[in-house]
Amino acid sequence: MFERFTKQARLAVTEAYAAAGELGHRQVGTDHVLLALVREADPATGGALAAAGVDADRVRAAMAGRHRPDRLGAEDEEALRSLGIDLAAVRERVEAAFGPGALDKGTRKARQHFTKDAKKSLELALREAVRLKHRSIGAEDLLLGIIRAEGDGYEVLRDLDVDLAALRRALESGRAA
Amino acid sequence: MTEMDDLAAAASGTDPETGLRAALALRRLADSLERLQVTNARRQGWSWQAIAAALEVSRQAVHKKYAREL
Repeated sequence: MFERFTKQARLAVTEAYAAAGELGHRQVGTDHVLLALVREADPATGGALAAAGVDADRVRAAMAGRHRPDRLGAEDEEALRSLGIDLAAVRERVEAAFGPGALDKGTRKARQHFTKDAKKSLELALREAVRLKHRSIGAEDLLLGIIRAEGDGYEVLRDLDVDLAALRRALESGRAA
Repeated sequence: MTEMDDLAAAASGTDPETGLRAALALRRLADSLERLQVTNARRQGWSWQAIAAALEVSRQAVHKKYAREL
């Protein structure tokens, strides 16, 4: 299916993985794809998203709490404290033996993967492209797929009070086949 | 639920939210330590068999979990 993606759409997917990685997220959701589209100022979707008042900072803010980082963080530290475990002390001892950052290096370098909704959104993007008679799957089809999949990205847009019907119309009229 | 009830539940450890989160954090910490120590053991020339025995799991289990990344 990827060979039918435009260069921009492909870039959005790889950038979504990168964005998830930066945030310490193992799961790559449609919200990460949305963030990638906004961040890269994608030409096919940028205008419609900007007109809807969607920018990277707002997307990131709306994403907060949707995914948990896959490494030991402040929340873990607090939870361990409730068991009487002092993570700072553990970290200190481990680092004394194995060097700085040793405990975090031990955190699983798990492979990232698309969430179920994100996979579904790609399928829906293909369907949108077919429906709109696009010869390839562009970023606007990706975004339409994200909206149709009603996953994380859709919820982020809804949280930002985006008029989804208007956004959809803008995306649908964006490209002539 | 009142604030007092909330506090009591958290303190006695029966609030599932707090308890489950603590269990998750503990698992993450344990995973982290295990990975670090398995790496260390391999570096010191330990066999997968010896590591598995120390962790009280099968050789296959430890190999499957770590062989590809070490």
